[in-house]
Amino acid sequence: MGINIDTYLFNLLIMTLFANLAISLYGVLARPSLIKKVIALTILSDTANTFAIVVGYRMWPTPTSPPVPPVITRIPPSREYMDWFTARAVDPLPQALVLTAIVIGLAVTLFLVFLTLQIYRLYRTTDVRRIAKLKG
Amino acid sequence: MKAWERIVIGASMVIFVALLALVYTLGALGYRVPPSTPRDLAMVYLTMTFNPSNPLFSAMAPEAVTAIVWDYRGLDTLFETAVFFLAIIASVALMRGVSLPEKPPSSAEGMSLIVKTVTKLTIGMILAVAASIAFHGHLTPGGGFQGGATAAVAPLVALVVFSVYFLERSGVTKNRMLGLRSAGLLGIGLTAFLVLIGSLLSGGTAFVFQNQPKPAAPIGLPWRIDGALTGGTLFLFNVFEALAVSAGFTIVFLLLAVPEEEAIKVVRGGEDGH
Repeated sequence: MGINIDTYLFNLLIMTLFANLAISLYGVLARPSLIKKVIALTILSDTANTFAIVVGYRMWPTPTSPPVPPVITRIPPSREYMDWFTARAVDPLPQALVLTAIVIGLAVTLFLVFLTLQIYRLYRTTDVRRIAKLKG
Repeated sequence: MKAWERIVIGASMVIFVALLALVYTLGALGYRVPPSTPRDLAMVYLTMTFNPSNPLFSAMAPEAVTAIVWDYRGLDTLFETAVFFLAIIASVALMRGVSLPEKPPSSAEGMSLIVKTVTKLTIGMILAVAASIAFHGHLTPGGGFQGGATAAVAPLVALVVFSVYFLERSGVTKNRMLGLRSAGLLGIGLTAFLVLIGSLLSGGTAFVFQNQPKPAAPIGLPWRIDGALTGGTLFLFNVFEALAVSAGFTIVFLLLAVPEEEAIKVVRGGEDGH
């Protein structure tokens, strides 16, 4: 079994996503600035979403025809159309999970931005080491 | 940061990636990623999303993603909407008591006439695209979340080009948006119980979050009205979710646009110690 160029590139993509996860976790855990933590958190969630989409993608059915979106375009669908469709459509479940995760991630990010903004307005710093030492 | 800390952090990052790569190599995500044939669960969704010959298991919407979001895994989405609701409410609670100054400063006039005219045209187009995305969610890629997020761009653009005072004058206030968002959430809640209420009134039984007829629950919403596909409850869910999401984001954008002096006044407190 030889390794072909598609498999190689997909493996490269997935390793890149793993490295991205590590870098964003470093940003969340080790950077002292709250703003940088929030930015790293958005990168973390975007990486996780991209990863879910890649896992839900499928290899091209034939070398010349790409997969199709999971949307039935013929109403009513005939048996031949459904065979064609299920042989080409990508997995809809990761897309459904990611679409809600993006909007909710945006809302949670906005909340964290507000939190950081209020902390800055009160203490004039976003450095967690200094905030931890504050009293009252 | 000390040198040994750098080494520990760098080594742990490398180990983290290596462990993930090991898990991937051992086949935790399947033999090939992406697979050459979709998973069995995906095949079920793909064949069942619009299947007139098997109506008891079908969502009767040609868009599989929306069928999953609001029918097959509808309760999931309900609770995710609750998370969204809580995040927005928490933002509003953090900014409690902060309001715009009574008299707008003379500098709050926005950008030039050219930008304003173009923006007036563009806002209409943004809202039209958002409505198209949201209301066709059961037919084409899109839905309430995406349409609502798109619609929230319109007040954001207005905020930058005109001013927060302009939005306030034209009726886009925080309390009204809270009301609109609550109306959307109420609509989602009512739609979740719609089939159940209808069944109870006619003496039958039904499930919560039911869309199409199921075994032992024979009542469902029509998936086709006069030849046009509706997807049953999916259309209603998309409309109300778009309302809730767009109004929720508008609240947060309005709060972010409050002038810094006003916010600091409230946060730091006055002489009475609040």
